[in-house]
This record gives sequence, structure tokens and C-alpha cells, in this order.
Amino acid sequence: MFDRFDIFFVQQLVNGFSVGLVYALVAIGFTLIFGVLNVVNFAHGEIYMIGAYAGLLAILVLAPPWVALLLLVLAAGIAAGIALERAAFKPFRRFRDEASLKSKAMRESTLLSSLAISIVVRESVEKIFGADMQAIPRAYADAMQEPISLGELAVASGQIAILAAAVVMFATLQWILKRTDIGLSIRAVAANPLGAQYVGVHVDRTVIATFAIGSGMGAVAGLLIGLYQGTIFPAMGFAPGVKAFVAMVMGGLNSIPGAVLCAIVLGLAEAVATEFFGQGWADLVAYVFLVLTLVFFPTGLFGAGRERV
Amino acid sequence: MPLLEIDHVTRRFGGLVAVDDVSGAIAEGELVGLIGPNGAGKTTLFNVICGFTPPSSGEVRFAGELITGLKPWRICRRGIGRTFQNLRIFPNMTVFDNVSVGAVGRLGIGPVETLLRTRAARDRARDVSARTWQALERTELAPYAHLLAADLPYGRRKYLEIARALATSPRLLVLDEPAAGLNDTETAELARFIRTLHAEGLTILLVEHDMSLVMGICQRVMVLASGRKIADAPPAVVQQDPIVLEAYLGTEEPA
Repeated sequence: MFDRFDIFFVQQLVNGFSVGLVYALVAIGFTLIFGVLNVVNFAHGEIYMIGAYAGLLAILVLAPPWVALLLLVLAAGIAAGIALERAAFKPFRRFRDEASLKSKAMRESTLLSSLAISIVVRESVEKIFGADMQAIPRAYADAMQEPISLGELAVASGQIAILAAAVVMFATLQWILKRTDIGLSIRAVAANPLGAQYVGVHVDRTVIATFAIGSGMGAVAGLLIGLYQGTIFPAMGFAPGVKAFVAMVMGGLNSIPGAVLCAIVLGLAEAVATEFFGQGWADLVAYVFLVLTLVFFPTGLFGAGRERV
Repeated sequence: MPLLEIDHVTRRFGGLVAVDDVSGAIAEGELVGLIGPNGAGKTTLFNVICGFTPPSSGEVRFAGELITGLKPWRICRRGIGRTFQNLRIFPNMTVFDNVSVGAVGRLGIGPVETLLRTRAARDRARDVSARTWQALERTELAPYAHLLAADLPYGRRKYLEIARALATSPRLLVLDEPAAGLNDTETAELARFIRTLHAEGLTILLVEHDMSLVMGICQRVMVLASGRKIADAPPAVVQQDPIVLEAYLGTEEPA
């Protein structure tokens, strides 16, 4: 009897872990953009949704093989990210002096412009595709639901795919940041935009690259999670967006490893919470974590004294 | 042809004329000082040269080409390196990475090339690393290469900024009040260092408050007061100039 409970509990943790990975996938791009621009990109959840819809369209029209599907969605995410940057962020970077760079008003204006874009995009998608859940064609959705048993535990192939995607994205991002020229520029702009432009860093191009990378990853996350859950809908980006935001704040606002870790903790905590409370209370966990972090660790759990992004 | 040519530059902020019809030139290989009391317009002129603010009228030419209106990174890539009075290092990156940013800035190789390890990417990575080490060695920062920039003592951070600017391979190096916050010993060391850079063939414009530094090492000094250029002559002449003495040094004996 006790054994059964144990394995059930572990199974819950496994599920919580994979939910946490979902949040982590979203949080990676979110935190990258925050780290560089020091602004919250409220449209990141919509990039995630666009990724899912782009994937659905590709499946319906072309029925491409998996690799092609991933690349198509990656490209759609990159394009959407660049468009988003041009529309919502670029107009507020006209002023290059230090006062504007540090100005709260400038930051808050991109907060609102990205929110505005997110609403426009979400409503447009709703207008075109309808507000209802769209089912992913079986051939693709089923591939994510293959049961795989690990001893007494059961996981779906989709969970493995999400784990793999999270590992690959995290590793790719670290590689880009630490090993490539563009990564070096991204880190420099994150640390000091003014100093960076005077040593020859093309700040504009660096910001675009940041959006392209963050949004490409966001779109792929949307596709995978949409496939795994079997349905997509225009507002699907909201809930993971909120969780990713909480993970980012907990992780110290500009620490990608911190955000990933906190996203996983969040997923686990939600799974454990549903053990003791009803399912409906799971969302409360994120908000409680957020409040606790802000009260007791205002710089986040991993925030102080480390490199941005 | 002079390397840097400032041609009737005026910069207004509303009703305030911060820089008033200033002209001047710096020839290749010169070490020139730019001085003036607070509010004289030094920083504004400096910012016009580096592309931070466009001039209201007038032109700046570098190596014969017009650079007014270019973005700061473009001007940097043309060959003007600068340092900041209030340091703008990347505190939580290593000393090596800080300087690499300067070395990389000029021409980027994308992640795809890096991933495919194309010949160009490999050559460039080697080039970036070589230029970074060279800049670190010139500023004697090589032993600290793997320290975080934030962990360097203040005096060393000044050299880090200079190293980062040197890594961009500038033809003209503009130093903004490099002696600010340094004690006499450190200032003397800095003076020797600037002289060495100059002796190696670098053209330098030194914007400075510290008289002893400017008068001690510069070949020529431009003096700004209330936005106008009031003198442009070797230090010995400037120090005797009654207009300069009145406007800048007051009634005190020149240092």
C-alpha cells in the first residue's frame, strides 16, 4: 500500500518536472530578452502561440517531416521576433543617450508597446482561426503520446521530446553566448549598452539577434507543447508566459540558468501541491512563489553579482 | 591631410551654445590635449566627434571622410577608439572577454560560420584572440585576463578600458579624463603609458582636467572656454597665454 503511494508520488514528480520544463522552454527566451534590454517582453507568450499556429499550418498544408517542421517553426519564430522588435521596441530606442537608456519611462513604454502588440496579434489570430481549440492532426499529436515506461514509471514520448528540447536549447544558447562573436556582443550590450557601442558593437543588430534567438526558441517551445497537449488556441501563451515570468523573477531577472532551475522547481511544486490541494489551486503556487521571492529575495534566488544573460 | 578635422562645429542645446564654432585638426601621430574649465564644452565636442550627439552645424572629418551623423559603432569601426571618464566596462565579464568585445566589434562572424568551422571563422577567431592578447599585454593586464572585470582595482579598470579601445585597432585614440580619480603616482604611471602608446605611433587626443598630465605629455593643447576655442598651441605657449590664464587658470600661477 505504502509502495503504491510512493510510486504514485514519484510519478507526480516526473509529471511536475516535465511541466517545469515547459515553463523553462518559455522562460529561456523571455529571460534572454530581459537580460539584454532590461525590459519585459509581454509579447513572448504570443511568439509561443505563433510558433504553435505556424506548426499547425505547416502540418495541414505540407505535412512535413519532423526536422522540416521544427526548422519551419524556428524560422517563423525568428521572423515574428524580428517583426516584434521593429514594431514594439525599436521605436523607443531612437534616443541613445544615457538618460534615456536608464529612464523608467522608456522601459515602461516598451512594456506597453509589447503588450499592445501581443493583444493585436492574439486578437488577429482569433479573428482568422477562431477562439476555439484547434486539434493537432492525429499523426503528429499521437507521436507525442507514445507511452514509454521506465520501470514502474510511465512517461509520454512528448515529455521526453520536451526534455530533449530544453536541454538542446539551453546548451545551444550557452554555446552562442559563450563561444560566438554575436554572443559576446549580446553579453556586452546586456552589461553596458553605451560602452558596447563605443567599442564597435552594432547595438541595433545585436538587439535584433537577441530577439531572433529568443523568439525562435519561444516558437519551437510553443510547437512542442501544442503538439504534446494536442490542442492549440489563441490565448495559449498566457499561462506559460505568467509562469515563465515568475521563474524569471525567482531566478534573479537576468539569469538564464536561474530561470530554468526555478521553472523546474515551479513545475515540481505545482505537482506536489495538487497532491494536497485541488487541481484548481495549482496556479496559486506560482503567485505564492512570486510574492515570497519579492519579499525575501528581492534580487532573486540567483540574481546578485553575476553576469547578465 | 589631417587625420581628424573639426570644421566649424557648433552644438546648441536649446538656447545654450555648448560648442560655438570650433575648428581644429589633429595630424597623424600627434598627441594633443583638449582642456577647459567645467562647462567649457569639452565633453560636448568629444561627444560630437564620437557620434554621441550630432553637431547643430559644422562637420567632422576623419581621414578625409565625413563622419558627422554616423552611429558611434560606425565611427569606432572607422578607427576612432574612446574611453570613458565614468568607466563603462562590462563588470561581470572576464577581463579577456571585455577586451575581446573590442576586437570582435569590427567585423562579426555569425554562429553558422562558427558552427561549420569555416576557414574564415577559424582565421578570425585566431585573429580576435591575438588582438585581445596584444591589447592585454600592452596594458600589462595579461596576468588578470581571467579575472572578472569587477574584481580589478579601480586603477587597473582604467587600463582595461584603454585595452578594450586598443583592441578595436584605432588610428585615433580619444581618452576622456583618464586621470580622474587617480593619485599622483598613478597619474605619473598613466602619463608614461600614454607616452609609450604615442611613441608606438598612435595618434591620441587627451581630454583632461589634470593640468600636470596634459602639460607634461602633450605636444599641443587646445583650450576651450565657454564653448569657444581660445588657444591652440604647444603647452609652453598656452601656459603663458594671457587669455588662457584669465579664462582658465584664473589669477593663480600655472601648474
